[in-house]
Order: sequence, then structure tokens, then C-alpha cells
Amino acid sequence: MRSERAFCHEQGPVFLKTSELTKTYRFGGEEIYALREVDFAADQGDFVVINGPSGSGKTTFLNLISAIDRPTTGNVWIQGVATGSQTEKALAELRRTKIGLVFQSFNLIPVLSAAENVEYPLLIQHTPKPERRKRVAEILGEVGLTDLARRRPSELSGGQRQRVAVARSLIAQPKMVLADEPTANLDSETGKQVMELMRKLNEEHCVVFIVVTHDSAVAAYARRRIRILDGQLQEGEPIESMASTS
Amino acid sequence: MMGNCKKENPLNLWLPLRSLLRNRRRSALSITIIALGTAISFFFLGYIQESRSLIQQTTVNEFGNLQIAASDLWEDTADGYTYLLSSDQVDAAEEVLSADPSVVSSTAQLQFPGLVAAGDQSRVVRVTSLVPGNKALGYGDHVVAGRDLTKEDTAAVLVGRALADRLGLTPGSVITLTLTTVAGAYNATPLRVVGIFRFTSEQVELQTLFIPLSYAQLVLSTPGVDRLIVKLDNIAATNSTRDRLQIALDNRALGLKVKTWDELSPFYRQLSGLFNVLFGFIALATTVLVFFIILQVLTLAFLERTREIGTIRALGTTRGGVFRLLLAESAWLAVLGSLAGVAAGIVIALAFNEVGIEWTPPGTLDPVILTVRISLETAIGPLAVGLAATLLSSLFPAVQMSRLQVVDALRVQ
Repeated sequence: MRSERAFCHEQGPVFLKTSELTKTYRFGGEEIYALREVDFAADQGDFVVINGPSGSGKTTFLNLISAIDRPTTGNVWIQGVATGSQTEKALAELRRTKIGLVFQSFNLIPVLSAAENVEYPLLIQHTPKPERRKRVAEILGEVGLTDLARRRPSELSGGQRQRVAVARSLIAQPKMVLADEPTANLDSETGKQVMELMRKLNEEHCVVFIVVTHDSAVAAYARRRIRILDGQLQEGEPIESMASTS
Repeated sequence: MMGNCKKENPLNLWLPLRSLLRNRRRSALSITIIALGTAISFFFLGYIQESRSLIQQTTVNEFGNLQIAASDLWEDTADGYTYLLSSDQVDAAEEVLSADPSVVSSTAQLQFPGLVAAGDQSRVVRVTSLVPGNKALGYGDHVVAGRDLTKEDTAAVLVGRALADRLGLTPGSVITLTLTTVAGAYNATPLRVVGIFRFTSEQVELQTLFIPLSYAQLVLSTPGVDRLIVKLDNIAATNSTRDRLQIALDNRALGLKVKTWDELSPFYRQLSGLFNVLFGFIALATTVLVFFIILQVLTLAFLERTREIGTIRALGTTRGGVFRLLLAESAWLAVLGSLAGVAAGIVIALAFNEVGIEWTPPGTLDPVILTVRISLETAIGPLAVGLAATLLSSLFPAVQMSRLQVVDALRVQ
């Protein structure tokens, strides 16, 4: 059973904010709205689950707030900094230092071991080797993969790979982790383990988690649940107590 | 908490190397292609260098490293023998030469045209008179019958093998040399053949006679010489010594001009130019071949990893970081392929040299053994060709991949 208050105790100021965030694509001369004037905010330590049907704009929203895509109109602020006016290099720096990403299909680098995959974000930050090794060992311990550290992704199960991906997303101690369908390729038990891990890390590290999912079981871990339909957000009620009752 | 270092890791070598090893067959194919190009370049450059060196040595043997003469001799503007150097000029020039650290020895020389007759045959020749036993220019090593000229010789002559064959001469034969003296009078003198020399060039063997300088001055009725032949301790010092000597001679206002062995040999210059064009063509052809094949291979290899590149960009690697990563990968290919190519080139060259294929170049009488030079100097050019071709071929796909939109790259399955 989880503790009664299953989230970060130190909720802080607004970490992420979007204003009239819109993304359109053109198909055959017609403008299609993937996201329409979305206003959203997440505080430090938030755990938000976003769901909605396929094609509703969930992944588009995640791409925009993770600064891997640019909006057609509107803006995203991360810790008060508008991403729309940033250069590619500045956005890379932002992703490197403040954002952790977990992909639906893990996206691990196949030629690297589990430990090296986890180490990669530190490597591109030029973190000294002793510190890299120490932090990798710690985080692999947290996700229960110490014994599998030297295995390549192809030698790991789906759940183990996703745990590597979660560890990779957290190794650089980001302020926000964005996860796109983190349980989609996992069986229910492994999916539960991964979500438990995220909840634990949110609780212990006060990291903002924004999880996009189809999986209703994942929603049980949310502080806030948001639904996207036709590119528009529909905020649900705060559900801080839900996680403790699941 | 943010990472405490702002500078991105510039170039990790282990990730590119592992990426290279993920498709071993393709990497092996790429390395083989680069190695083949490098080995071909190495082999041809080694052959060209060896041949050029042989021709350099032959040319220096024929002309000395440097020659010093009056400007109107070089410019062919003299009226008669007005270009001849006086004893004072020769003494002053020899003083300059003796002070130069690169000069090993020097000797005076006097050349003039003549007509040589033996029996009922005659032939126009160029007579080269020199001091027998001098250490700057001698043909003693080339004597194949009889002996070299000595200081005691007077009316003695060394003839080329081809001329001896044409005129039926052997050591001990007597020929008649007809010439014009410095004053313009006809003169004729009998000369005893003391030796027959061979040379790499049939033309030299047919047209050149060697007689003692003192006897040439006697029959030409002059105390003068037309040039000084200078031998240096190192062929590589030719140009720098020429410059130094020219300044020293100009300071003494002797009206003398120094020429280098390659300036004196149009044949060498033409051949050297041909060698440069030949190697340039081979290097270019190899570069183009390697460039396009590796371009295709790398484009495919990088395209297959679009999603992975999208991932590392999403994790915060900059465009420059991706570019350097891909460039490092091709640098591994380039280094491994080029080194393998040099190694293969050495093996092929050793085998080729071991077989000892003979060839008689046009205009020569003796066959030479075709040899490929194996040296560090020979390896540098081909290594550069292999490295440059591979790195150049990777630039376009690396730039393309590094400029991908992250979100688009991540969509690729």
C-alpha cells in the first residue's frame, strides 16, 4: 500500500506553462489542428496524466512542451523562459538540463549497455567520469537494474528496457520528466512496476511528471488527470487522493 | 538539478566506434574500399617516387648539383666564346664555393662542339673536358671497358658505348677530333680512346666525349673554362645553396649565374611534370571512387539510424554534437581503411619488388628493375587521399542528419 500522501511534499511555483498553444499541419491545402489554443500549467512536483483517443493531440502536446517541436502559434514557458524564442542550441541545452524523456518504444541506443545508455545524458553534459559512474550506479540501483547494467538493450525484457529509459530520463536530475505511453509496450504487471517507480521518484525527487497514456490504470497514479480531445484540453478534478486508494 | 558542466562533450570516440561495429559486414566493406584506394595510391606513388629519385640521381650525375657560368652562356646570347670565364673569375667563384657549408667539391669544365672521325665514319659530338680525378663530376664509375681519364693523360678520350659501337671503337683506338678554336681557326687532333663509358641515356652515349681539361684548353687555344660544376652534400639542399651562392657571387659582381641540376635538364622537368600529373590523376580517380562509394554507404548507414539520432537530439545533443558524432564515425572508418590500405600497399610493393620486373625505358640501353619505394614519405600522400575522401564523403550525410527536425526523426520507424 502507498502512503496516504503519495506525491511530492514540496510543491513549488509554476514550472511549466503554455498559452494558446496551437499546432497545425497542412494536408492537401487544408489546415488541420493537432492542438488548439491550449492553456496549461504544471507546478513543481506535479504528477499529471494526460489521456485521450488516438490522434487527439497528446503526443503533439508532449512534443511541444518538451521543446522537440515548435508550435504554430502560442508559447511554452519552462521556468519562465519562453521556448519559442530560443535557438536550437538553447533548446538542446534546455532538454539536456531540465527535461527527461521517456519514449513509448524506449528508444535506447542499441550499441550501448544499459549503464551506458543511462550515462549518456551525463556524458553530453561533460560530467566528470567518477561522478557519472557514481550516479549511474545509484540510479540503476533505484530502478532495480544493478545486475543488468552491462547488458545491451537487446538482452533486456521490455520492462527492463523501460526501466533503463526511466533511469536515463532521471540521471541528469531534470526538473520535469515527460513520458509518452510508457506502459504501452509492457505487460500489466511490468507497467505497474514502471509507474510505481515514477511515482516513487516523483515523491522523492519532486520532479514534475507528465505522462501521456491510453492506459486507464496509469491514470490512477496521477495528481491531475487531463483529457485531450480534438486538440483541446479538458482538465479533470484534482485527484490527489486517488493514488492512495488504488 | 542541472548538470554542472555547460560545455557539451565534444567528441566521444567509443560511441562512434561501436556504431561502426554494429553492421560489421558493411563496415568491413567500407574499410576494404578505402584500403583499396589507399593501396593503389601508395603503390603508384611509391613507383613514381622511386623512378623520380633514380632520374634525379642520373641527372645530378650528368650535370652536378649546380653549375656556375656567365649569364650569356645560359641565355645563349654569346658571340663565339665570349662567355668563357677568366682565371680571376674562377678563383673568386671557388673562394665563394669553399666558404659554403653544403659544397663538397667543385671542378671547372669546358664544353665545345666537334666532329669526330674514325675510319670512314664521322659524327658530330659535344666534347666535355674536365679535370681527371676531380670529385665533383666524374664518369669513372660508368667505364665499362678500358679505364677512366687520369691526370697524366693528354690526348686521351673517353667515349660512350653507343658511339663506340657505331664507330667500331675499342680502348686503344685512335679517333680524330676536328674543332674550331676560340679565335675561330680550324684545328684537328688525334685522340686515343682510353675507356668506354655507359650511361642511362643512349643520347649521352652517342654525343658526349670526355677529354682532359688541360688538353681541351690547348686545342682550343684558351686558358678559360665555361663553367664550374658544384657537388653538394645533399640533393635536398640544392635550392637553398643556389640562393646563397648567387647572393655571394652577386656581392662580388662577377657576372655569374648559378643554375640547378633540374633547371639544366628539360627532360627531368618534363618527366617530373608527367609524374605529377600521373599521380594527381590516380589520386583524383581514387578519391572520386572512394568518395562516391563511401557516400552511399554512409548515407544508408546514417539513414537507418534516423530514429536513434532523433533520440540523442531529444536527450539534448546539439546539431553540432550529432555532426561531430557522425564525423567521428567516418573518421574511424577513414583511419582504419587508410592504415589498412598502407599496410596492403606495403605488402603489394614488397611482393612486386621481390619479383624484380625489368623494363628498358625509351632512349636508354640498359633495362632497369621496376621498383616501388616503401617509406613513410610514400605513405603520407595515400593516407591523406584515403582520409580526405572518406571524411569528405561523410560531410553531406552528416550535415543532413544533424539538421533533421527532432520530432520528424523520432517519427521514423
